[in-house]
Amino acid sequence: MIGSRTPPPAGFPYKVAIGLALIIAMDTFVQLFWKIAAATLPETPSLEGISLAFHQPLFLLVVGLMICQLFVWLMVLGEADLSFAQPFFSLSRITVCLASVYFLQEIIASAQIVGIALVCAGAWCISRTARNTAREGDAPS
Amino acid sequence: MTQTAVGVLLVVLSSLIEGVGEMFFKKSRLQPQRQIYWVSLGVSVFVVQMAVYTAALRFLAVGAAFAIASLSFAFVALLSKWFLREEVTPIKWLGIALIMLGTSLIGAYA
Repeated sequence: MIGSRTPPPAGFPYKVAIGLALIIAMDTFVQLFWKIAAATLPETPSLEGISLAFHQPLFLLVVGLMICQLFVWLMVLGEADLSFAQPFFSLSRITVCLASVYFLQEIIASAQIVGIALVCAGAWCISRTARNTAREGDAPS
Repeated sequence: MTQTAVGVLLVVLSSLIEGVGEMFFKKSRLQPQRQIYWVSLGVSVFVVQMAVYTAALRFLAVGAAFAIASLSFAFVALLSKWFLREEVTPIKWLGIALIMLGTSLIGAYA
């Protein structure tokens, strides 16, 4: 059946590229805000701590950003394979790492720089592959 | 079983659960008539995944957990290939392997 298909599209249409860029940006802010907000909570987990979290504007912002992320993610998945789009999520680990250095004055180790280069190389490899190969008729329900 | 082994098992389990959740989100786009069903299932699975991952952090250091959690990239590729019939070519596997190695290094030294 695969032979009768038209060749699957490769590369990035604007919708996928913009969607992934938005998700990576939102994930970076989620991780940073989460870390800042978590520092204000008591160290021992408790119901009181959870209730306190839901009164923190930063935690509410994190939840809001996660909901936005979900909508954008669903839009991206409408345009690209899961196995194509999901690995690009890893780029947010690079932006979080760099943002932590800039905003939280954390130190970046040389091994992390090697890690960033490997993630970039991996993302480049995946960007060379077909973007949309799944078909509803093929997928078991 | 040592505490470390329990932690490793929980992170591997949470990565697998994450893969299943992602698959449900993709199913929501492949079957628009059942979108709410698949998205609700995906969100529920993610809540479970977060609970399992949080439990794992009681037994493992964050850096180690982060490195092992990069297995989710491999699980997502395998589940996409088996259940969504997506094409996972050797170059895609190479990219996934590089990303797993890279994210492990970033996480291990965080």
